[in-house]
Amino acid sequence: MEILANLGLGFETAFSFWNLVYCLAGVFLGTAIGVLPGLGPTATIAMLLPVTFGLPPETALIMLAGIFYGAQYGGSTTAILVNLPGESSSVVTALDGYQMARKGEAGKALATAAIGSFAAGTVSTILIAFFAPALASVALSFGPHEYFSLMVLGLIASVVLASGSLLHALGMIVAGLIFGLIGTDVNTGTLRYTMGMPELADGISFVVLAMGIFGLGEILVNLEHEGQRSTALKKITGLMPSRADLKQIVAPVTRGTALGSVLGILPGGGAMLASFAAYALEKKASKTPERFGHGAIEGVAAPEAANNAGAQTSFIPMLTLGLPSNPVMALMIGAMIMQGIQPGPSVIEDQPVLFWGLIVSMWVGNLMLLVLNLPMIGLWVRMISIPYHYLFPCIVAFCAIGVFSLANQTFEIWLMGIFGLLGYVLRKLDCEPAPLLLGFILGPMLEEHLRRAMLVSRGDATTFLTRPISAVLIIVSVLLLVSILAPAVRSKREEAFVED
Amino acid sequence: MLKSLHALAGGVALLCATAMPIVAQDYPSKPVTVIVPFAPGGASDTIARLTTQIMQPNFAQPLVIENKPGATGAVGAGEVARSKPDGYTLMQASIGTYSTNLTLQPDATYDARKDLDMLTIAVRTPNALVTRPDFPANNVEEFVAELKKKPDALLFASSGAGSSDHLTAELFWQLTGTTAIHVPYKGGAPAQTDVMGGHADASFQNVGAIANFVKEGKMKILAVTGETRSPAFPDVPTFKELGIEGLDVYSWQAFSGPKGLPADIRTKLEKGLTEALNSPDLKPKLEAMGYEIVANDGAAADAFVAQEIDRWAKVIKDGNIKLEN
Repeated sequence: MEILANLGLGFETAFSFWNLVYCLAGVFLGTAIGVLPGLGPTATIAMLLPVTFGLPPETALIMLAGIFYGAQYGGSTTAILVNLPGESSSVVTALDGYQMARKGEAGKALATAAIGSFAAGTVSTILIAFFAPALASVALSFGPHEYFSLMVLGLIASVVLASGSLLHALGMIVAGLIFGLIGTDVNTGTLRYTMGMPELADGISFVVLAMGIFGLGEILVNLEHEGQRSTALKKITGLMPSRADLKQIVAPVTRGTALGSVLGILPGGGAMLASFAAYALEKKASKTPERFGHGAIEGVAAPEAANNAGAQTSFIPMLTLGLPSNPVMALMIGAMIMQGIQPGPSVIEDQPVLFWGLIVSMWVGNLMLLVLNLPMIGLWVRMISIPYHYLFPCIVAFCAIGVFSLANQTFEIWLMGIFGLLGYVLRKLDCEPAPLLLGFILGPMLEEHLRRAMLVSRGDATTFLTRPISAVLIIVSVLLLVSILAPAVRSKREEAFVED
Repeated sequence: MLKSLHALAGGVALLCATAMPIVAQDYPSKPVTVIVPFAPGGASDTIARLTTQIMQPNFAQPLVIENKPGATGAVGAGEVARSKPDGYTLMQASIGTYSTNLTLQPDATYDARKDLDMLTIAVRTPNALVTRPDFPANNVEEFVAELKKKPDALLFASSGAGSSDHLTAELFWQLTGTTAIHVPYKGGAPAQTDVMGGHADASFQNVGAIANFVKEGKMKILAVTGETRSPAFPDVPTFKELGIEGLDVYSWQAFSGPKGLPADIRTKLEKGLTEALNSPDLKPKLEAMGYEIVANDGAAADAFVAQEIDRWAKVIKDGNIKLEN
């Protein structure tokens, strides 16, 4: 029972007074920056990195990790309350979470997100504790072919995201793919569609696009019907999920956790897919898919669970191989090196206090987040009942600050304004922005992996089918596509929308 | 009365400030901005934050880091080049921003030689030639033989088109008369991942970044591009030792300011930065990350940058590397 001894050591470390204090400081700070739209954990951790010098290594990493998963938690708050997804993972939460808020169920949505995240965090922490070294090799088995096929599957699944017209959804995905083309071509370094603006050389930032199309677009629409909006929000029905609600989210949270845990292990962008995939799966599995997009509680629970599980398991390649799966993990590796610890497979053996302390602290941190966030819900919900003519200028101001902080340039603010107008127009045309955002996220990754795979296989496209993992993913994609396009399914789909 | 006195004092101060040259005694009288033209958390950002943190206690005013990422640093560097050379706007950036951008981005709005005064080359790190763990070659000779046996076939991962490690590979092919397929990635980490996973054959990567992967047997190291052997790998030869001349390549990070910094301010900044870089609080940390401390003076840094610009311009031209705009 070596694992129990190890976990014992972890609990001993995580529950030492100062580690608890720094863990709390980390998750609190993380929640705060997560709630503020546009501010992300990367910049915060980079700024705090020099401060962690003086701390013992495990304490430093416990605090930095707390900021990371705290921010994942905080991000869903603004997505639910004001339709402002600050990062890619909360786009999906906004779909049904914001609709729940509009029905007066903001408290329930927030509580569902918090509970779903906590459950997922607990399960994935146990997964890391037992299987981290074994799972690490999965990360290396994914090459360009496998990632490409995974992205294809993600793109096809994204059609399921739309709750309206299939044609509109396809149009939005293509629009997203096109926006994703802007910037520097990875293979040749050629600038594409930058119109001579060096600010566009690295492409459009996701935050700018999401805040413009979702946040500002929503504000413009709301300003048209301010009267209706305020009356809708007056009736707040229950802050906490009922027993029936909890029963309803058990299965979605379980499925979301499983999906998120697996995708989080892949360093090449797997974690980004987690919440989208969980939502698509839930909608496919549901007996009443027509409720999705109109405030389905499963549509909040599953992606939140998947997102948090993915955030936890993305520590696996970092801790066991020294591979960063996102910029935050790269910073953690930097912090370890500066503390004199070489990240890699030997960390578990050489640094048991650090490894097990960090793992147990993740669970402790998740518990702290739950305790911190549940009592806050009442406060948050009251925030959206502030008259809109006071609320919306604040939202716009926070968006502008957040977007400015990306590159310290006013360029991004203008760009966000343009996307805000576009978001308004799209809503008027009954086009949903979520498929556009997914196309925007997946497009560049899809292209990058496709071109790299073709380069690696010397232009031989059959390798996508001769490599086993890739072949399985392609077959699943084709089956999914058939199920979407099959006329029988299609007519049923359209029937469902007539009910709206 | 008091108000008008204040206004008068302010006016006089303003006159003095505009009429008289800025002197080091008054410098710094307000916070100094250090522009990092890359995102937070990258190598340039880390060097800037660590160095300024150590330098801060002996500096009268706050040193503020401002990230202005975009176009391999060209967006931020253009802004620094256009700012007033008063010592209140500085920059910390990489080899790409200072040297290769000038050839690869003909439309860039700055020229490191004409528009910037270098303060110091802070750190440098050699590249290592690494291969996937099961690659048949065990030394550079066998590796070159393998390349010659299969021209245009082996896969060289790099951290991006026009990046320092891409150009190192290009220079290696030119010097050894070999050819291979260049596979660019978005940054060093995914390139290293694919070498470890066996999805790419070889790569030139910073020694500090791959040291542990090699020690764990996830990659093979064949040689380093430094002038001398790397302290992390005393058994691994340099290319020079192997008779491949002209492949002493480093990626480096350097501090600078707009052209025309007053001499005394420049000296003061050079001194502050180099002392911080060599301090016992910082030097071992940077060395643990695989960096060598250079910390030379501004004049030497200026000469080095000019030399690097010419050298890489030639490699880019000979390799016919073009990032079309």
